[in-house]
Amino acid sequence: MASSSQFKQLEKLGNGTYATVYKGLNKTTGVYVALKEVKLDSEEGTPSTAIREISLMKELKHENIVRLYDVIHTENKLTLVFEFMDNDLKKYMDSRTVGNNPQGLELSLVKYFEWQLLQGVAFCHENKILHRDLKPQNLLINNKGQLKLGDFGLARAFGIPVNTFSSEVVTLWYRAPDVLMGSRTYSTSIDIWSCGCILAEMITGKPLFPGTNDEEQLKLIFETMGTPTERTWPGVSSLPKYNPQFPQHLPKDLGALLQSQTREKLDGSVIDLLHGLLKLNPDKRLSAKQALNHPWFSEYYQ
Amino acid sequence: MASQNFQTAILLSRPYLTREQIKRAQQNTIADRRIYNQKRISVFKFLCDICVQFKFPRKTLETAMYFYQRYYVFNKFETEMCYDVATSCLFIACKQVETIKKVADLCAVSLRLRSIVKVSPEMLDNCKKRIFQLELHILETCCFDYRVNNTVHIDEFIVKIGKELSLNYKACHLAWLIAFDALKLEILLMVPQHTIAIAALKIACELSDDTEWPNVRYTLFESDEPSVNEAYFDIVNFFINVFDLSDLKDNLPQGFRKLSIETFMDLKRKAGEEKGLKEPENVATDAYLTKERDYTVRERRYVLSRKRINDENRPTVRPAKKDRIE
Repeated sequence: MASSSQFKQLEKLGNGTYATVYKGLNKTTGVYVALKEVKLDSEEGTPSTAIREISLMKELKHENIVRLYDVIHTENKLTLVFEFMDNDLKKYMDSRTVGNNPQGLELSLVKYFEWQLLQGVAFCHENKILHRDLKPQNLLINNKGQLKLGDFGLARAFGIPVNTFSSEVVTLWYRAPDVLMGSRTYSTSIDIWSCGCILAEMITGKPLFPGTNDEEQLKLIFETMGTPTERTWPGVSSLPKYNPQFPQHLPKDLGALLQSQTREKLDGSVIDLLHGLLKLNPDKRLSAKQALNHPWFSEYYQ
Repeated sequence: MASQNFQTAILLSRPYLTREQIKRAQQNTIADRRIYNQKRISVFKFLCDICVQFKFPRKTLETAMYFYQRYYVFNKFETEMCYDVATSCLFIACKQVETIKKVADLCAVSLRLRSIVKVSPEMLDNCKKRIFQLELHILETCCFDYRVNNTVHIDEFIVKIGKELSLNYKACHLAWLIAFDALKLEILLMVPQHTIAIAALKIACELSDDTEWPNVRYTLFESDEPSVNEAYFDIVNFFINVFDLSDLKDNLPQGFRKLSIETFMDLKRKAGEEKGLKEPENVATDAYLTKERDYTVRERRYVLSRKRINDENRPTVRPAKKDRIE
C-alpha cells in the first residue's frame, strides 16, 4: 500500500531543545535514522536554533559528528533526518548504575570516548564553530564504541558578536567559570571546559560539578579547583559577576578526589590532562588539538 | 524525482545557477521582466530602509536579497506579494546571521514603510501570519541549504582579500561601495560571495589611479576565472546600464576621480571579450528548471549530496525482519 512517507516512524527517542526525536527507518534503503521533528513556534516561526543547527551541521562532515542527511518539509512540519546512533553517553552511564551507586566506565573506554570527543570538538573549532552545549546527553554512541557530537541547536559560528541570548549557553554542570562569571568574550575554551567535566564524569560515573544555580556552580568549581585570584587569572576581577567576597579555597588534589570514587587505577597522566582541560583561566586551557597530543593519548598517535 | 511508491519527493540543492538557468526557470515565474526588475529595485530600497531602522549589518541585507531573488526563480512573481516576501526573507536572514528581531517588530516597520499610516493589531497579526507562511516556502526554495549565506559575506571578504593583497584603503573603500550596488543583482544567485568580493576589488583597482590589480591566481582564494569574470562583467554592465540610479554615484569617496557611464564603458572595452561561467547544454531540458515545483507532494525532502539520492535508487541493505515494511 502506498504510504505517505519515505520513513517509518518508530519509537520516541527523546525531546531535544526545540524538537522531539524519533527513531525512523528509511523504507528504501533499510537504514535507521533519527527523525528530529521541529516544533514550529507560533510566535516566531521556524526556531532560529533549528536554522542554526541545519546550517552548521550541514557543513560538518566528520566521523565524530552526527551527520544531517535531509531536511523534510511536510504540510506544516519540519523534520531533520540525522544519522542514527543507538544511545547517548548519559543513558549509557545511567544503565551501568548499580543500585544507587553510579559506576565509572573502564579507563580504556573513557580514553577512547574522550579521544573521539576531542576529535569532534577539534574539527568544530577548526571550522570556526563552537558547540556550546557539550554534555553526556549530547554525545551519541553506538555499539561499535563510536562517539559523535550531536545537538547543535546552541552552536554558533564564532566571530559573531555574542548577543543577549547567550545566557542559554551550556547546561550549568558543564559551564565554564568564565561564562558563569558573565564573560561574553568566550571562545573555543568554553567547549574544552565541558570536555574536562565529561572526562571526570566518565571516570567516576558522577557529574563533577552538579550545581543547581550559578552561585552554587561556581562554589563547587572553586572548592575543587581553588578560588582564582588576579595572580592565577589576570583579569578575573573585571568579569561582570566576579565577587571579591568569593570564599577562598585552595585547589584540592583532583587525582585523590577522583581515585576515591573509582576502582580503576588512575595514573598521573590522565589527571594532568584533566588539569589542562579544567584550567580556570580560559586562556590557559588546552586547545582540543593540544589535548589530543597529550601523552595520555599516546597509544593513539599515528 | 517523485517516487512512485510514496507521496514523497527528493530534491538536491543547487544553490548557484548560471544566467541561462535562471532565465529558463524564470520563464515559469516571471511574466513581465520589466515590472519584476522595477520592483526588485524598490524592494531593495525597502529592505535597506528596514535595515537602517534596525541598524542591521550589510550581511543581513545581502542574505535577504539572496533569498528574495532565489524565491522568484521558483515561485510566481506577483506584485502584491513582493513586500511580504521581502519582509519574510529579511526575517529568515536575521535568524541566519544572528541579528534576530521579533517578527512583530519587523512587521510593524515593514507596514509603516509601506505608508500604512495606522497599523491596527489585526493588520499586524495578519502580517505575521503571512510572514510565517512564506518563511518555510522561502527556505524550501533554497532547499534548506544554508551553506550560501552562513559565514561568507561580500563586505567582510572585501576587507580580508584587500588586506591579503595589500590593496590601499581607498581602493577597498571603493570596492565596498561597488559591492553595495552588486546586492541588487542576480549575480548573488550565480557565484559565491567571496567571488563577488574579488570582482568588486578588481573593478575598484582598475578605477583607481594609484592601485594596480595584482595578477593573482583566483584559486588562492578558492575561486576561479570564469566565476570572477561572471561577477566582473555583471557589475560593470550594471553601471553601464543604470549608473545614474546607482548608489555608487552619490556616495563616491572624497577626493576620488569622477565616475560616469563612460568610465565603465572604458573598463569594459579594456577587459576585452565578455566571458563568464560556462552554460550547460541541457538548460532547455533540465527538469529542475523547466518543471514547476510541485508543492502538493506531501513529503518533500531536501538533500545536499547526490549520493543520498543515488543510495536510495540502489537499495542494498534490507531492513531487519521485524521492521520490514510490507
